[in-house]
Amino acid sequence: MEATFLLTLLITFLASFIGYELISKIPQTLHTPLMSGSNAISGITLIAAILIYPEVGESQLLKIIVLIAIAFATLNIVGGFSVTGRILEMFKKND
Amino acid sequence: MIEIILLVSSVLFIFALKLFGRPSTAHRANTFAMLAMALAVFSAFNFDFSKYDSAFYITIVISGLLGVLISKRVQMTQMPELVGLFNGFGGGASGAIAYVELSGNSLPLSDVFVAIFSMVIGIFTFSGSLVAVMKLRGKLNDFNKKLADIFSVFLPTIIVIPAVLEMDDLLIEFIILVALIAGVIRVAVIGGADMPVVIAFLNSLSGIAAMSAGFIVNSIILIVAGALVGASGIILTLLMCAAMNRTLLDVLKGGFGTTTINNEYEKDPNNTSPEDVAILLNYAESVIIVPGYGMAVAQAQAAVKELTNTLKDKNIEVKFAIHPVAGRMPGHMNVLLAEVDIDYEDMFTLEDINSEFSSTDVVIVLGANDVVNPLARTDEDSPIYGMPILDVDLAKQVIVIKRSMSPGYAGIANPLFINDNAKMLFADAKEGLENIIKSFELV
Repeated sequence: MEATFLLTLLITFLASFIGYELISKIPQTLHTPLMSGSNAISGITLIAAILIYPEVGESQLLKIIVLIAIAFATLNIVGGFSVTGRILEMFKKND
Repeated sequence: MIEIILLVSSVLFIFALKLFGRPSTAHRANTFAMLAMALAVFSAFNFDFSKYDSAFYITIVISGLLGVLISKRVQMTQMPELVGLFNGFGGGASGAIAYVELSGNSLPLSDVFVAIFSMVIGIFTFSGSLVAVMKLRGKLNDFNKKLADIFSVFLPTIIVIPAVLEMDDLLIEFIILVALIAGVIRVAVIGGADMPVVIAFLNSLSGIAAMSAGFIVNSIILIVAGALVGASGIILTLLMCAAMNRTLLDVLKGGFGTTTINNEYEKDPNNTSPEDVAILLNYAESVIIVPGYGMAVAQAQAAVKELTNTLKDKNIEVKFAIHPVAGRMPGHMNVLLAEVDIDYEDMFTLEDINSEFSSTDVVIVLGANDVVNPLARTDEDSPIYGMPILDVDLAKQVIVIKRSMSPGYAGIANPLFINDNAKMLFADAKEGLENIIKSFELV
């Protein structure tokens, strides 16, 4: 076991823990925007696509698959944040 | 430099979650999360934008524009479908990346396992979400559960085929096939009202797929953000399950409510008319409205708002009691009510409002059924026994606006409907409310 791998596992655990603690406190009223917002965040896999895109080499098939991943993830991020903003705007004007 | 950007990004993500805790600060949370995402994506380029060809940039621009277009056009009643679709995209993206990494042949063995895990979870999320979206749109009937169970057992054996035929290079493709079919069958057997659990669960899986993709490409930010999404989805999944008094495994097994149980009524319900409801409301001091999926189907939110205004003008107190699994996704009812400007301070959770029903003059049940079925408290043999319900039967008067006496998702009769203090107004949620509002002018 490499030390860096263990460190990464520790970070994973801490992130899950903080996430669990903070999200548990979010009221039911905001559960839909929470879902659409976390939806947007799951599009962060775009980073992985950006990192591997220059390294796929000659294969056109693999390149296309990465491009599909990029399209999915981008749609996810942009659409997700945009619709979450729309929902939260409806809660804001009630203040 | 990149490390510092990523650090800021991680902190912003966590801070965004903190701000999400209150309706008044939540819109800022979205801005923080967007900023965090922008930084994270920017850092992935490592200041070298020339490594990328035009196909790459065109894909990003077009799908980004498409994302904006979809999000501006979607109706609030369609939110469950949209979230379902985006879950699928997120999972599909992670699955595709894992596949490309596996095909590259240069992964160390430990990464191969993580990549297969990420790929299976991602692809499962993809196909499962698409089926969920189709079910939410009513395009797919419930699958035959027995057939699906038999199929599920034999499914993993498909993987053996390439091994037996010595086609090592096709193994990954067969795993993809199995994950695709597994997603379809698993979600197809689950009924409509269990969708809040399914959507939350798939949401969690899309985060877990992203997190494991982070392990393959060694990106801490990807792991952190993926873990946050995974945690959020799991919390919502467990909340939804608790609200139905069922385990996640039980929900995923599917087939709930398909067994026919005796759902005859001993006597006829008391019918009422919009005029009588208007008179009743006119003399009430406190009213609680219980919205259910029927409100979303009938698009009755605007009528709800109008009735609320009419009642409030007469100094009648109006509150909303929202069951955690009302609708087709967590918080579905709250968003629909917020859309028509109903104050979130007037929306109450089950725990907060259940003690108030006994002192409430009139409760209006609007397109809800199982979540107000008193059998959950009394009948140990009932499939919904033990499920936390809204105790509307304890109110002085209950008006149920519903199209017919047909049972809800659980497939059982609801004795509330024939209770002495309950009256049925047989109508579609929107039409029923509009008729009541019209009758008010005559009162």
